[in-house]
Formats: sequence, structure tokens, C-alpha cells
Amino acid sequence: MSVIKERHEDKEATEMRRFLLILLMFMAVSPAARAQEDNKVSGRFLLTDMSGRTVTDEMYRGKIRLVTFGYTFCPDICPTILNTLSAALEQLGPDRAKVATLFISVDPERDTPAHLKEYLNAFPDITGLSGTPEQVAAAARNFKVRYERQKPEGDDPKVYAVDHSASIFIMDREGNFLARMPHMSAPDRVADRVRTYLSPRKAEE
Amino acid sequence: MKRRAFILCATALAAALSPIAAAGAAPKGQRGLVIHDRPRPVAAIDIRDAESRAAGLDTLKGRPVLLNLWASWCMPCVAELPALDRLKPALDAKGVALVALSLDRSGKVAVANTFARLGIANLDIRTDENRVAAEKLDAPALPVTLLIDREGREIARFIGAAEWDGAAAARLLDALAAGSPLTPDMAPPPVRMGAAP
Repeated sequence: MSVIKERHEDKEATEMRRFLLILLMFMAVSPAARAQEDNKVSGRFLLTDMSGRTVTDEMYRGKIRLVTFGYTFCPDICPTILNTLSAALEQLGPDRAKVATLFISVDPERDTPAHLKEYLNAFPDITGLSGTPEQVAAAARNFKVRYERQKPEGDDPKVYAVDHSASIFIMDREGNFLARMPHMSAPDRVADRVRTYLSPRKAEE
Repeated sequence: MKRRAFILCATALAAALSPIAAAGAAPKGQRGLVIHDRPRPVAAIDIRDAESRAAGLDTLKGRPVLLNLWASWCMPCVAELPALDRLKPALDAKGVALVALSLDRSGKVAVANTFARLGIANLDIRTDENRVAAEKLDAPALPVTLLIDREGREIARFIGAAEWDGAAAARLLDALAAGSPLTPDMAPPPVRMGAAP
């Protein structure tokens, strides 16, 4: 336990240094370069849906996408992010049909399509995606999501945590990056943000 | 254009700020028993019973409450329900109300199914009618159990699953019942998931 905690603290220190570095970079870099940096998040993926079919981001063409990464076998506490997304969808009312909400598992070994299907019974508007470890790694790379499988804490090799970055991604109808929101965003803020992308864009002044 | 650039920058900064979340959303180290420096008000939640009647905390005025937030999709939550179920009669005898509030979006159906599967005998069905409990009670991850005093104020919370029917928990809950100060040594041992329940 203590070993893991220390490692987390190290990670935090690294994160902090990285943040300061990024902060300095942002102060120096032009807006154009900033936009370019943002474009680096790509929504491309080739994964498996809950019925075992191969899917790509192309199949959600025409829909705004809400995307989050996670896993279902959270060993001690489970984020309420799917709750947040499903509450946000509810607030969108009929507009929710214009949104594809995707939960991409970073634990494909345990989160099989069949398991995701059963799990997501609790969130009927959310599609669970999984794949081979390589496919999941590629998707995470494109979204700039990091994840790391932890060592099992007990004797059971099947009981392990997967640390992962937890954000809500909003992608446009072509799958391009629009926004990244913190995982603790309130549902109405997520819904509001999606609405701004659903409404016709105002002419640039 | 300026504004847009600012938003882009702010978004990127926010992203850079959010570290890898260790399985959950609570700040690092925020697990187990957290005793508040001073009691906090508890946001009003529209809690309903199995017949969809109002069963909010205001109906329990004057009694300390152990408010457990859970959901059928949260395996550690489900794993600690049997201990809470065993605990309930003892808590009732102490004058402490135990409320196991489900955050499931499908409401009482999910609760009834989970209770049936686990053979829950004592817990009552309690649902979060407007599905706002996670947000209003500041629970970015589950399970979370709030210890609420007889004035209806949150004095502590336990983040994660705990051995609620053990000796340590009994001391904690005795203190809650008596309205005496809670101390860190009263923390019940955390429960980590074994195999899927």
C-alpha cells in the first residue's frame, strides 16, 4: 500500500513540474501554436462494440461525441462519471439523439464486450467499447489519454487497479476534438457545452 | 478571437492540471474516514422509498444518520451492502438511522434486483429521485458514507467501502449515536474488492 502511495506522490510531483513547464510554454507560445497543440487530440479509433462488432469513429459520423475512458472493475472507489454523462444526456432531451456517448475501456482483458453490455444496462444511452490491448492503446494514444495497469494488491492476479486520466472529451460530427472537460464537471455544464456545439455556429465577427 | 484563444488556453491548462486519477476522482489520499473540522450542512435531496413516497433526511430529524451512497454498477458498493444490511438492526437499536441511497438511474428496479441477488433483508429501498445526489453531496466516486449528526449536519464521511459490521465501526457508530467526538482511531478497516460479487 505504502509503496503505491509513494509512487503516486512521485507521479504528482512529476505532474506538477510538467504543469509548470506547460504553463511557461503557454506564456510564450502564439495562439496559432496553441490551437495546433490542441489539434493533437485525434478521435480516431478502431475498437469492438458491446455486440463484438468492429467499430471505428467513422461509424459515428454526423453525431457529436462524448467520449470518456475508464474501466468497470474499480477495486475501491468508482467514479460517477457515467452518471454525470447520463444525467447530461437526460438534460439534452430530444437533442440527445444527436450525440453518441462512448465509454472506452482501458481494461479490455476484464471488460469484454459481453461484460460491458451487462454493466452498461445501468446506462442505456452509453456505448461501451473495448478491443485488443493494442487497439485500446492506439485509441488512448490518439486521445492523449494515459493509463497504467497496477500490480495486483493481493494474491488474486485478476484483482488490479488501472490508473487512467479521466476527462470528458467532446468531439465534433467528424470526430475532431472540440473540448476536454474535467471528470468532475456538473452534468448541466456538460449539457450546456454540448448544446453550444449542437446549435448552428454564429458567423465569426 | 482573443476570447477563443483564452478558452483554448484555459481548457488546455485544465487538462494539464488534472493528473492521472488513481481509479477514482477523490483527491489523492482521500480514502477512508475523513472527520470534518466543523460540521457541514447536508444539501437537501429528494429521496424516495419503494412506493415513490418522500423519504428525505428531513423525515429523520433528531436522529443521527449513516447515509451510504451506492449504485448497482459500482462493485465495491455492492460488496459492502451485506455488511450494512447486517448492521441495520443494531444501528436501529442505537437510534441511528441507516439510509442506503441508490444513485442508479433506473431507480428502484436496479435496487430491488441488487437486493434480491444479495439476499438483503433489512435495508430499505431508497432512491435519488432527481439523480443529483452525487453532485449535491460532492461524491465524485462511490461508495461514500456520510455520518450525519442529530442536527442534520455532516460530521464525517467514509470514502470507499468499509467493514461496517466490525468492532472498529461499532465504536465509531456508538460515538455517532451518543453525539460524542469522532476520532481517527475509530476508522473501520477499508474493504477492497476481491472477486466480482
